[in-house]
Amino acid sequence: MKNHHLIHLYNRVGFGILPKEVQKLNKLSTEENVKLLFKKSKKRKSIKVDVSSIEKVGLSIEDKNERRKLQQKENRRLLNKLNVKWFDQLYTSETLLHDKMRLFWANHFVCSSNSTIQTIEYLSVIEKHALGNFKDFVVAISKNPMMIRYLNNQQNKKKHPNENYARELMELFTLGVGNYTEKDIKESARAFTGWFSSKNGFTFKSKFHDFESKTFLGKTGDFDGTDIINIILEQEQCSLFISEKIYKEFVNPKPNQKHIKKMAKVFRKNYEIADLMKFVLTADWFYDDENIGVKIKSPVELLVSIHNVIPYEFKRERYFQYLQFNLGQKLLYPPNVAGWPGDKQWIDANTIMLRLKLASSIAQQKQIELEPESAFEDDFETINKRKKNKAYFIFTTLDWQAFDYKTIGTKNKDWQDALLGTKLNKQTQEIINPLINNSTKDFCIAIMSIPEYQMC
Amino acid sequence: MKRRDFIINSSLASGMLFVPSFLQAFEKIPKNKLGHKKLVVIQLSGGNDGLNTVIPYNNDIYYRKRPKLAIPKKELLRLNGDVGLPNYMSPLKNLYDKGYVSIINNVGYPNPVRSHFRSADIWQTATDANEYKSTGWIGNYIDAYKLESHMAIDVDNKLSLALKGKDKSGIAAFDPKLLHRNASDPFLKKIANKHHLDEHLNEENLGYLYKQMIQAESSATYIHEKSKTYKSNTKYNSNSFEKQLATTATYINSHLETKVYYVSMGGFDTHVSQPYKHKRLMSVLSNGLENFVNDLKQNDTFKDTLIMVFSEFGRRVEENAGMGTDHGAANNLFVLTENLKKPGIYNNTPNLANLDNNGDIKYEVDFRQVYSTVLEKWLEADPKKILGKSFENLNFI
Repeated sequence: MKNHHLIHLYNRVGFGILPKEVQKLNKLSTEENVKLLFKKSKKRKSIKVDVSSIEKVGLSIEDKNERRKLQQKENRRLLNKLNVKWFDQLYTSETLLHDKMRLFWANHFVCSSNSTIQTIEYLSVIEKHALGNFKDFVVAISKNPMMIRYLNNQQNKKKHPNENYARELMELFTLGVGNYTEKDIKESARAFTGWFSSKNGFTFKSKFHDFESKTFLGKTGDFDGTDIINIILEQEQCSLFISEKIYKEFVNPKPNQKHIKKMAKVFRKNYEIADLMKFVLTADWFYDDENIGVKIKSPVELLVSIHNVIPYEFKRERYFQYLQFNLGQKLLYPPNVAGWPGDKQWIDANTIMLRLKLASSIAQQKQIELEPESAFEDDFETINKRKKNKAYFIFTTLDWQAFDYKTIGTKNKDWQDALLGTKLNKQTQEIINPLINNSTKDFCIAIMSIPEYQMC
Repeated sequence: MKRRDFIINSSLASGMLFVPSFLQAFEKIPKNKLGHKKLVVIQLSGGNDGLNTVIPYNNDIYYRKRPKLAIPKKELLRLNGDVGLPNYMSPLKNLYDKGYVSIINNVGYPNPVRSHFRSADIWQTATDANEYKSTGWIGNYIDAYKLESHMAIDVDNKLSLALKGKDKSGIAAFDPKLLHRNASDPFLKKIANKHHLDEHLNEENLGYLYKQMIQAESSATYIHEKSKTYKSNTKYNSNSFEKQLATTATYINSHLETKVYYVSMGGFDTHVSQPYKHKRLMSVLSNGLENFVNDLKQNDTFKDTLIMVFSEFGRRVEENAGMGTDHGAANNLFVLTENLKKPGIYNNTPNLANLDNNGDIKYEVDFRQVYSTVLEKWLEADPKKILGKSFENLNFI
């Protein structure tokens, strides 16, 4: 496999690749490399934290409200821990394809909660189905307690339907806007009545379910939620909608309808996500020049790809949370049900400055000023104190030993190729050339500081 | 109507939406066409209790529903025969007495959302309650008129959604010196200079990154160079909110060409211990506003500055059991400037006898009517182009 194709593959189904790995894997063919990614992804790991402390918090406190407040605080702490756990998993990942799919689906079936227990449950659904069957996935998500609460299906009752879930199911999860009518939303909402969340998870409350006949996308029957999902997946549009989203994420933010139609045809056969991904990653056009280096890295991709080169650790977890917040993507805290729009929306005058200085600031342990994150619930004094405490250093500890080990038997040029994936234009190359004899460490920091490194 | 006429009219109505991007450069609006007026938006985060800010002291329902939290008549500074401010808001009362304040009641939107995040997003993106957008109304303004980033400044370290546009955005500038230092890294400058007008700038995403980088550098330099010599005579208090206002005043009094400033103040989610917390918040807010207005007045810039103070929602009329109030719906909104068309209480005070199913105040004025008014009458911009549809303007300026 050609080096730059291999690098491209690992940029999209991973967080970049290092020179040594390139030297090893370029001996395999494209098919063999893709197969290897699938094989490795079978040993997937769950993202979870110990939640036993929530129950124990405030046991001695009489006042119910006070206790709840303490539990909320504990939940916030645990969710931040869970967020860090997710990153740790990405830093050390052996299951790159699965990890990338998990990130993708968590930004597709978007959901959030301040309950750690529900969040872990939700993540396990994403984990289980990330490379599984899409139909099973949609059913499982529709029955997920966190989703039921997030999109108000708990309030969806016979004669008083709440349309929120039915609407987002079609608009954001399966068909896309304009491919159904308002009537279809009303009718399908009735089919999901009584799909509730209880203490023990999903529960069907027949008392609140509407058993009457519904007419949905041209079909009539006493449908329930699963029937609705089946009808949705019969629509060609569903396979096109998901294929386009996969294409924009993994191939090119600018959709190519010819390729997307081919993907949809493969996907429609049985809605196996792994089949779709295998088709994409082995397609000739996936490796076309026009698809290489054209995507703007998400903040998560940027943080993990820097970590792959120079393993860093934040001495204070809170600063790492602030950093994610300032970069515009804090895992587990999506902006709304539509998720992070991504691509150009990651970039503004402030985030571009932060992103360009990130690698050098981390590597040289320089100071970066970050806006402290405040919750709506925080009171003025807390926010005031945090804001006044102005200098927010990025306190990191760095593992240079690990870095040195990675550089054995490599040349600076190899690092440039691996880290950038594409050829630089003449002018930028002229700036880089004088640095080629510097230490690999300095050279890598320079490479990670140019705008091209923001792309993948 | 002839088909040709129809095409011409509809393309006019849709503005620049259908102009191909390579032609849009010709539409660049000369800056002097945008007028010389400034807008300062102040967001109170957490949901300010508007009912304990502007108190309907003749309303029995208010006192009945808030046995513990209601502000007694004798502790009020009366604004007219119906409403008053709590006595710890005397700085704002001073401004009110000079005719600098207009209070618009019952501002909100249909199907109000009581989640902080969602409702704040709705206000910032100027959308309907069930619509999700990733660009803000001020960002749309920057985009629509192809303005440089520094034409809208978020006085913060991180850019709010409100100032994010699709192709162009505002810039967050809390500390101009630091911003300038961050933006003018010699290595990056070298790369940016080499690339100026290079073929890379035409490449889709990478070109966009380069443009943003160059824009960040030039805006940061502009803000720093233009504001670094100014020294204010006004003494501000040392809290973070007044720091933001002092910086905003510095920018305005240094005559930056910036059109919009965005300032936020947090801590308004008063579910518990409201009396103490709200008193502190209102003192900080009204002291800050008075200092800010005085600072501008001394430099003769207040007459060209409009301040708008809003919160993502108001709070429930009935107090809760924890000496606090829960998330509500419609709320009052303050506008301040020297020459208001209608100073004082702009419209009806809330009808507490006719609340919604949650026991919250119903909206009468859509917040986008306020935006539309400000955009058209103050910033001389086309509100439809920015908000996506038309809203009936109000009459306060």
